[in-house]
Amino acid sequence: METMTLLGQGFSVALTPTNLMLAVAGCILGTIIGALPGLGPSNGVAILIPLAFSLGLDATAALVLMTSVYYGAMYGGRISSILLNIPGDEPALMTTLDGYPMAKAGRAADALVISGVASFVGALLATFGLILMAPILASIAYKFGPAEYFALYLLAFSTLGGLTGNNQAKAVLAACIGLAIATIGGNSSGTPRLSFDSLYLYDGVNFLVAIVGLFAVTEVFVFIESSGKNTAIGVKIDKITIPVRDIIRTFGTMLRGTVIGFIAGILPGAGASLGSFLAYSGEKAYAKDKSQFGKGDVRGVAAPEAGNNAAAGGALVPMLTLGVPGSGTTAVLLALLMTLNITPGPTLFSDRPEVVWGLIAALLISNVVLLILNVPMVKIFVKILMVPPWVLLPGVTMVSFVGIYSISSSWFDLLLMIGFGTLGFFLRKLDIPTVPIILGILLGGHMEDALQRAMVISGGEWQYLFSSKIAIGLWIAAVVGFVAPMFLRKFLKQPDAVPD
Amino acid sequence: MKHLNLKSLTLGAVLSLGMAAPTLAAECIAPANPGGGWDFTCRSIGKIMFDIGAVDAPIQVTNMAGGGGGLAYGLVVNDRSDDAELIVAASSATATRLAQNAYAGMTYDQVRFLGAIGVDAGIIAVATDSPFQNLNELLDAVIADPSSVTFAGGSAVGGFDHLKVLMALKRQGLEDIRTVKYIGVDGGGDAVTQAIGGFVQAITGDISEVVGFIKSGDVRVLAVLTEDRLPGEFGNIPTAREQGIDVVAGNWRGLYVPKGISDDEYARWSNALQAVADSDEWAAAMEANGLTAFNFVGDDFQIYVSNLMGEIADLSREIGVIE
Amino acid sequence: MSDRIFGTLTIVVALAYIASASQIKLPFLVDPLGPRWFPYIIGAVAVLAGLAMVLRPDDEPEWPALMAFGNIGLACLVLIAYALTLRPLGFLMPTALAAGLLSYQIEQRKLQAILTGVGLSGGLFIIFKFALGLGLYGVPKGWLN
Repeated sequence: METMTLLGQGFSVALTPTNLMLAVAGCILGTIIGALPGLGPSNGVAILIPLAFSLGLDATAALVLMTSVYYGAMYGGRISSILLNIPGDEPALMTTLDGYPMAKAGRAADALVISGVASFVGALLATFGLILMAPILASIAYKFGPAEYFALYLLAFSTLGGLTGNNQAKAVLAACIGLAIATIGGNSSGTPRLSFDSLYLYDGVNFLVAIVGLFAVTEVFVFIESSGKNTAIGVKIDKITIPVRDIIRTFGTMLRGTVIGFIAGILPGAGASLGSFLAYSGEKAYAKDKSQFGKGDVRGVAAPEAGNNAAAGGALVPMLTLGVPGSGTTAVLLALLMTLNITPGPTLFSDRPEVVWGLIAALLISNVVLLILNVPMVKIFVKILMVPPWVLLPGVTMVSFVGIYSISSSWFDLLLMIGFGTLGFFLRKLDIPTVPIILGILLGGHMEDALQRAMVISGGEWQYLFSSKIAIGLWIAAVVGFVAPMFLRKFLKQPDAVPD
Repeated sequence: MKHLNLKSLTLGAVLSLGMAAPTLAAECIAPANPGGGWDFTCRSIGKIMFDIGAVDAPIQVTNMAGGGGGLAYGLVVNDRSDDAELIVAASSATATRLAQNAYAGMTYDQVRFLGAIGVDAGIIAVATDSPFQNLNELLDAVIADPSSVTFAGGSAVGGFDHLKVLMALKRQGLEDIRTVKYIGVDGGGDAVTQAIGGFVQAITGDISEVVGFIKSGDVRVLAVLTEDRLPGEFGNIPTAREQGIDVVAGNWRGLYVPKGISDDEYARWSNALQAVADSDEWAAAMEANGLTAFNFVGDDFQIYVSNLMGEIADLSREIGVIE
Repeated sequence: MSDRIFGTLTIVVALAYIASASQIKLPFLVDPLGPRWFPYIIGAVAVLAGLAMVLRPDDEPEWPALMAFGNIGLACLVLIAYALTLRPLGFLMPTALAAGLLSYQIEQRKLQAILTGVGLSGGLFIIFKFALGLGLYGVPKGWLN
């Protein structure tokens, strides 16, 4: 009951005309930033902070603007994933797998609507989770030490084989490429390595450089090679209707994706990418008929989008209650809060209830605004595919370059991105999936750090990795996740064993 | 794309109206991703400089992650050495890396340090349910059996947080500091979580990183690494010196500017920084973030940095971080 | 055949990776894992995956004709030149040139390509500089003083 009163106060703060206007502006701006390759939620929020300051916004208004940009970007990332096979940001990576095949088949609008609804469901339920359970959920972070994190990352990698492509060796190889890239640069054992004494490589390779290279630049090369065949650009789009049947059919998928994503979001260091990834692989493992995954299955669009938006909400839990940012974006939000003289931590909910509940109200408002904006805006989005390729592709390329340039203002990252683009072209030809590379880069460093820390703490005892119930549970899930797809594959190869 | 462009153009135009956006605003480089200490320095100091009228236009913050700050350092040394409209965030970590020669041979005298106007006091802390009640008990336990205690801190191995613990242990009489167990995690908050979860036994970091946890009663700070006790609400925490361990280590927040700017330009920036230091806004920002005053602006600061680097280099050599 | 070549290449690169990992300086403090083991494991798994590709290759992919390869190479060169000139020459000129050239590669119409280049360069500059506030310079820095 007290929660409702507090939430009511939050709404009364957040629902002023100015704040509502800011929410709408933030949602639109966020959606655009999210859809632009290279610019994702974290730099989207970061580049808008000066705007909030120069507009002279107070704490609540600034938070309303920033959270609506954050959620807007989470929604927006999927648009370029689906239409162009270029993830607008890293959590939207998994949405390319089924979203783009749907677009190629003329179902771009369906994919956009379903993923929009899934995003709404994920974000909404995650916000309720945040309201009801934030302080309890925060304590989950205390249960995860190095051994548990290592097992969690292992679980993510173990399901890779069953995820993309038909040749498991190629998926493993791709993961190795990503992991090897992740070992470049300084790690927590202190000594920089494999960086060839270059300052550019000292901090390692930024995953955004890889993601934009492997997707956006590669896409340009593929287009030039095929003179525009084999893409979704210019494909005739079916009449735009709301795919009610598909939405109802995938509702369970969305709920499952939300739960997985939310849990991944709560754990600092896992974040939205892991959330969408596990939501996708979990859904694929759960589904009876897996034959359409990767070819345009609506569940393959609904699961990761519910997952990454739920994770985005979940990531606010450790940020607000522990001051521990679980992702790049929450790190920026944390910085914003500190600049506004608000210190997140275990006492934030009691010290500054007006900020917390104003923020939560802002989340709910921007989520509703986004759903309302997104469904009619699908009509506008799909018109992107009608833009002539001689404008669209140079445009996407230039946006990618500026996005990457804004990370470190160096030519080095740009050349590296072109290198990734070239590599991506050959990998695409050889049918080697690129998603595992990105995951390797994103999670490899965390995984090695967890192992390194576990070994320091235990003094080199390997048994330490299995020393808690959570760790053992995750190990079992990892082994099952790795072995099960192999057997299922054999099983599914028998022609009559594929049920509808 | 065309439609998106049109839309964002309109929106951009609308939003730009609210912004005073002159083409030549000064730039503050935060040599790391958004969200860290350097980013905070640029954003807070930049914001206050504009708010109090020390500069005419809002300062534009550029994030330049890379090389642990070395990429930005290289840019200032090589490409923009006479750019008077450029300030760069710095901290004890900058001095540590320069002292450990981690910036590809660049040295501290290739830029001009402008000043530091706040310091984040170093701390050594434990979770509330820990058996250790004071710093001596903790350090003696490590000396008795180094494998019994793991420290967690926000910097990598050999970084500033790690050095603080090693300094304290050396003062307490530990001979072979290489046996001390330390894990570098993703920041002070993370270190606290690992300690509360019981995965590590002690935390080394800065007070700003644990403020919330002190208030909630989850963390007990065994010592602050300052000369005197902190003012205000944390005044009940003893210093390491009081407990007989002479270690003073704080993470100052400051700025440097390119070497080649004129003395007038340097004076203009140091006046602006001093104005921030004297402002109520900065006092409030420091209080909210657990910083304490540390007013060291101008040429003296260059000397301070040089002395500090000497100390860090000696210690790093002693423990083997550098040869 | 392509799979076999790539698999062999993978094995060579993975071995080189392992070799360079063995040269990593060891840290000075207790660290049971050390910075070498993780690279060793990754390298070893990559060798196995490479072997699998050599022994059980998939069907041959459709490689582009020589002409198409030339075009891709050309696009690659344009992008590299763009990357190198973006800072010294400012945003506007390199962007107009690179966008125009890419546009011309996709459809060979001169006027259309020129308009695309100029339009994208100006439009994106306005968005990035003024709406999003990125620290870009439109023209070489020297021109501003």
